[in-house]
Amino acid sequence: MAPLRSAPAIALPRIFLAFVRVGCTSFGGGTAGWLHRDMVLKRRWLDDATFLSDFALGQAIPGSNGIKLTVQIGQRLHGAAGAVVALVGLLAGPFAIVLAIGAAYAGFGENRILHQMLDGVAAAVIGLTFATGLHSMAHSRPGLAGLTLAAATVLCVGILRWPMLPVVAVLAPLGIGLALVEPRRR
Amino acid sequence: MSEGSGGALIALGLVFAPLSLLSFGGGNAVIADIAQQSIAVYHWTSEREFADLFALSRAAPGPGSMLATLIGWKVAGFSGALVATTAYYLPSALLVFGAARLWGRWRGSVWHSAIERGLAPIAAGLFLSGGIVVLRASPSGWPVWAAAIVTTAALLRWPQLHPVPLLLAGAALFGLLALSQ
Repeated sequence: MAPLRSAPAIALPRIFLAFVRVGCTSFGGGTAGWLHRDMVLKRRWLDDATFLSDFALGQAIPGSNGIKLTVQIGQRLHGAAGAVVALVGLLAGPFAIVLAIGAAYAGFGENRILHQMLDGVAAAVIGLTFATGLHSMAHSRPGLAGLTLAAATVLCVGILRWPMLPVVAVLAPLGIGLALVEPRRR
Repeated sequence: MSEGSGGALIALGLVFAPLSLLSFGGGNAVIADIAQQSIAVYHWTSEREFADLFALSRAAPGPGSMLATLIGWKVAGFSGALVATTAYYLPSALLVFGAARLWGRWRGSVWHSAIERGLAPIAAGLFLSGGIVVLRASPSGWPVWAAAIVTTAALLRWPQLHPVPLLLAGAALFGLLALSQ
């Protein structure tokens, strides 16, 4: 596929290095939040609305959100080659690092303080996830209906812990219908 | 690490490739299945080892969990890690690649734009929900919530702030907390 932007495609080595960087620094999971920070906020290679819609469309497809976004963003930046380069770049660093940690940990065993420290890391990562959701929602200018839909999603999936697929299957047609009748604001 | 026999590598591929296609909503959805296969079905790890590998996969950077990589490594060394990682990530990547190609063809249509705009708030809601679910599962209780909220506020106030110092601060703070208990 040709790159989806009218601007010239980003060169492959730049894409590779950018994704290696995200891969090596995206601690604690939540790669989607790290991608948002790097690709949208820092490099401005894509905008908030595009990021969110890629994320949402990815929900219809199984797999790690970070991996799906990486393939989608790589494809937007430089077609099929961009997607391959982005994916290999994202995975190369963590692959090496996790094996190194595994080897180092082999003799370490159980450690309560280490587990607590991992919880601290997780808390900060969740902060990043929250900030990503709030920031990108504010910037895609959802309107009252959009805010209601976002709140309904949080209520059903986050608070009531209903399974995600049926919730999205009900809310998605609602959101799309509202977007069809609402005049375009952007 | 034991050297990977062909049989072990095939088993790793057979376990992780289907899981790749079942992980709706992200990698967390299949962790229970990975545990079941690794512990009860294939006896690749004990329960204790599995818990350790899980925690380790969280300490490393990278997408969702590098849990598949670690289990592959435990079972069959480097080639096991390579096979498990590829089996776990490739099918989903191919699927999303094909879907994005189809999607690009419809660019510009009324439907395309309505679907993109209509799904955005739901995606934002899923982001928030993902965080809430993990916080509720954490054994560390309210300090985790407090730390998450402070981090959120800091990143919203200063979007260019690099998160790694925040992660280190979180690790240090909770480490001290554990020492004082």
